[in-house]
Amino acid sequence: MDWTALGLSLRLAGWTVVILLPVAVILGRALAYRRFLGKGLIEALVMLPLVLPPTVFGFYLLVAFGGNSPVGDLWQSLFGNQLVFSFEGLVVASVIFNLPFAIQPAQRGFEAVPVEVREAAATCGMSPARSLWRVELPLAWPGVMTAMVLTFAHTLGEFGIVLMVGGSIPGETKTIAIAIYDRVQAFDNRGAAVMSAVLVGISLVTIAVTYWLSARVGRRLS
Amino acid sequence: MALEVRLRATGPIPLDVAFRAEAGEVLALVGPSGSGKTTVLRSIAGLWHPQEARIAAGGTTWLDTGARVNRPAHRRRLGVVFQAYALFPHMSAVRNVMAAMDRADEYEARRLLHLVNLHGLETRRPAQLSGGQQQRVALARALARRPQALLLDEPFSAVDRATRERLQAEVIALRAHLDMPVVLVTHDMAEAQLLADRMVVIEAGRMVAEGPTAAVMADPAALRAMGIRELAAMLPATIIERDADGLTRLEGPTGPLFLPGITDAPGREVRVRIMAQDVILSRQRPEGLSAQNIVPGTVLRSVSGTGPGVLVHIDVAGHEIVARITRRAADQMRLAPGDAVHAIVKSMSIARGQIIRAPEPRA
Amino acid sequence: MLFSLSRRILWAALTALIAAMPLRGAAQDHAPVIAAASDLQFAVTELAEAFAAETGQAVRLAFGSTGNFARQIRAGAPFELFMAADEAFVADLHADGFTRDAGDLYALGRLVIIVPEGSTLTPDADLDALERMLTAGGITRFAIANPEHAPYGMRAREALITRGLWEDLQPVMVLGENVSQAAQFALSGNAAGGIIAYSLALAPEVGARGSHALIPGGWHAPLRQRMVLLNGAGPVAEAFYAYMQEPRARAIMARHGFERPGDE
Repeated sequence: MDWTALGLSLRLAGWTVVILLPVAVILGRALAYRRFLGKGLIEALVMLPLVLPPTVFGFYLLVAFGGNSPVGDLWQSLFGNQLVFSFEGLVVASVIFNLPFAIQPAQRGFEAVPVEVREAAATCGMSPARSLWRVELPLAWPGVMTAMVLTFAHTLGEFGIVLMVGGSIPGETKTIAIAIYDRVQAFDNRGAAVMSAVLVGISLVTIAVTYWLSARVGRRLS
Repeated sequence: MALEVRLRATGPIPLDVAFRAEAGEVLALVGPSGSGKTTVLRSIAGLWHPQEARIAAGGTTWLDTGARVNRPAHRRRLGVVFQAYALFPHMSAVRNVMAAMDRADEYEARRLLHLVNLHGLETRRPAQLSGGQQQRVALARALARRPQALLLDEPFSAVDRATRERLQAEVIALRAHLDMPVVLVTHDMAEAQLLADRMVVIEAGRMVAEGPTAAVMADPAALRAMGIRELAAMLPATIIERDADGLTRLEGPTGPLFLPGITDAPGREVRVRIMAQDVILSRQRPEGLSAQNIVPGTVLRSVSGTGPGVLVHIDVAGHEIVARITRRAADQMRLAPGDAVHAIVKSMSIARGQIIRAPEPRA
Repeated sequence: MLFSLSRRILWAALTALIAAMPLRGAAQDHAPVIAAASDLQFAVTELAEAFAAETGQAVRLAFGSTGNFARQIRAGAPFELFMAADEAFVADLHADGFTRDAGDLYALGRLVIIVPEGSTLTPDADLDALERMLTAGGITRFAIANPEHAPYGMRAREALITRGLWEDLQPVMVLGENVSQAAQFALSGNAAGGIIAYSLALAPEVGARGSHALIPGGWHAPLRQRMVLLNGAGPVAEAFYAYMQEPRARAIMARHGFERPGDE
C-alpha cells in the first residue's frame, strides 16, 4: 500500500476542488442566468476536456506549460522549478481537465433556481451578492455539490493526464492510479489489488456521503 | 409621497403610459392579456428597462433615462407581490418576511404575518402552505420592506374564487395601514372596481383611459378595451339587519336592498357592485315580481353602442347605476333624460364577492 | 442558517482537508529520482535496497520505456540518473546537452521468448515451434514491447525479421508500452506468448507464470544499456552511479540475467 501515492491523490483532488468551487459557482451562475454573445462557444470550450482523449490533452498541456513555453519559463523564474513534472503542474492540469465536471452540474443547479425567486430577492432589497449567498446558493447547492463530488472522484482516478504532465515521480506526481499501474507492471498483483480496493472504497464513500447530504438539503426544501 | 410613472418603449413590447398614484391610493392597471400591464409593473420594479422612462417614488428618482439615473431593483424601496408568490422555498414564512428587512426583526415579521391574518403558520415552509396562505406571506414580505410603493401583479389570479374574495376583503381592510401608493395589475374588471380608487386601462401598451374608477367605468373607450360585459356600477349602502331567511336588509341611497351572503355586522358601510347586464328597467314600480331589489331613480342618458345593446345611465340619489338593455326595449319604452324609472336587480345576481366593505374614512 | 448540520459537516471536512493539504508536500522527499528502463524493474529495485542498506541513503525509482523517459527528460523532467536500455538514447541526450557526460555502459541485455503456463506454444530458442503454430494459425496474440520507443521492442523486431517471422506475426502482434507491459500481455493468458527481457523472465513473480528460452544474441543488435547522470544531479545520485560500478552491484545485475560489458 503506497500511502504517499494515496496522500498525493487526495491532495490533488482536494486542491482541484478548492480551486474549482468558486469557479464553478461564478461561471456556472453566469452561464445559467445570462444569454450573451459567445455563450455557446464558452459552453463548448468548457465541455472540451470531456471529449478530448487525456493523452491529447496532456500533450497540449505539455506544449503550453512545458520547459520551453512562455508559461513554463514564467513559472520557472517565479518559483525556481518546473511547472510540468511537479505537483503544482498536476493541479493546473487537473483544474483545466475537470472544468466540465465542475461547471456543468453547477450551471444546472443555478438554472433550477426559478426566475421569480431571483427577482423576488432583488425586490426584497438583496444585492446580487446577498442574493447569491442567501437565496441562490442554498437552492443551487445540490448542483454545486454534485459538481464538487464529480470533480473529486474524477481526479482520484485520473491517469492519462497525470502520466503525461507529471511523469511518475514518487512523492511528487505518482498518484495512486499511477502506483496501481506501476504495481501491475512489477507483477505485484496483490499490491495493485489492495490499492484498487482502497481507491474504490474512498470513491464510494465520497459519493454516498454526498448523496446523503444532498437528500437532506432536498428534504429541507420540500 | 406619490408614485410617478412615465414610460415609453418601442419594442419588443411597445409601451406609452403615464400616471400618478398618491400615497394610500390604490391604482389599478387593467387591460386584456398581453396588453403590457405586467411589463409596466416590472418596469417600475426595475426588472425591465424601457427605452424612455421616468419613475419616481416618494421624491426619490428611481429611473430617469434622460438624466441617466437607473437604480437597480434592489436599490428601489418597493414591495412586490408576484403572481406566483415567488416565496423563497428554503425559508420558513417568518424568515421569508425577515429576508426583506434591512435589519432582521423577528418580532416585527410576526406582527406583519399577524396583520395579514396568517396565524400559527409562521414556521412553515412555502410548500406546506396553501396558495392563499402563501400569498399572504408574500404580502407581508412586501410590506416588511417598508416600501415607498407597493406593487401587486395579479396577486389573486392563482387562487380559487372563495380565497380570492377573502383576500380582496383583507386587502381592503389592510388599506388603513398602508400609507404608500399601491399599484394593482389585474385583468379582472370587477377586482379593479372593487379595490381601486383610480384606474388606468391599457390596451396594446397604450393608455386608453385614466382617472378615478367611477369615471373610467363610464368611459366608452375603456369599455371597448375591457369588454362591455364588464360594465358595472358601485352603489353604497349600509347594513341594517340580517333576516331569518338568509337575506340581509341594507339601506341604499333610494330605498332598501336585500342581498344574500352578508356576514358583516349591522351598521357597516359597504359598496355593492351591480353589473349592467343584470339590471332590468321599468317605468312603473312592478308588483308580483320575484326580484327583491327595486331601486327608483332618474334617467341621466342613454348611450348606444355598435351592437344590439343600449346603456342607460340612471341617477340614484347622486350615485349612478347603469343598465344594459336591448335597443328595441329602449325604443319601446321611449326613455328620455329626466324620466323616472325603476331599476330591478335580482338578489341572487349579486354574489358575495360583489359586496365589498367600504374603505375606512381617511383622516 | 439553512441546512446547518450538513453544512457544518461540509465545512469541517473542507477545513480538515485544506489543513492537511500543503501545496508543497511537507514530507518532501529529497531523494533523487532515477529513471530506469522497465527491464530493470527487479534488478534496480534490489540494487536500491542494497544501496540503502549499505550507505543509508535512499533513492526514488521510476520505471518506464527508455524512449518515453528520454522525451520527458527533454521536457524538463527532474530525474537525476537515467538508466536506459539502449545507449543511442543516451548519446542523443548527451549531444543535446542534457547530460553531465557520456555515461557508463552498465549492462548488456538479452531477449527471451516467453509463454504462459498452459500455453500450447513451447518456448524454444530457434522459434521453430512459433513458426509452426503461426503457419497452422494457432497464434491468437503475440506480445512485444513497442518498437517505436522501447529498445527491447526494437530488438525483438530485429530478431523476428532475422528469423523471417516479422511479417507473418504482424496481424496478431500486441505492443506493450514498455517491456514490462509486454510481459504482462504475454503472460495474461490472452496471448500465446511474447518476446521480453531476460531480466524480467528471471524474476520469480514472472518465472512462476510461464517458461522461457533465450533468443540468440546474434539475431539482433546488442542491447547496450547505458546509464548517465543528468544535469543537476546531486551527490546521492552520484553515489548510486558509482555504486553501480562496484562488484556487489555487478553481481546483483548478473543474477538478474545481465551480462557485464566486456564479458561477452
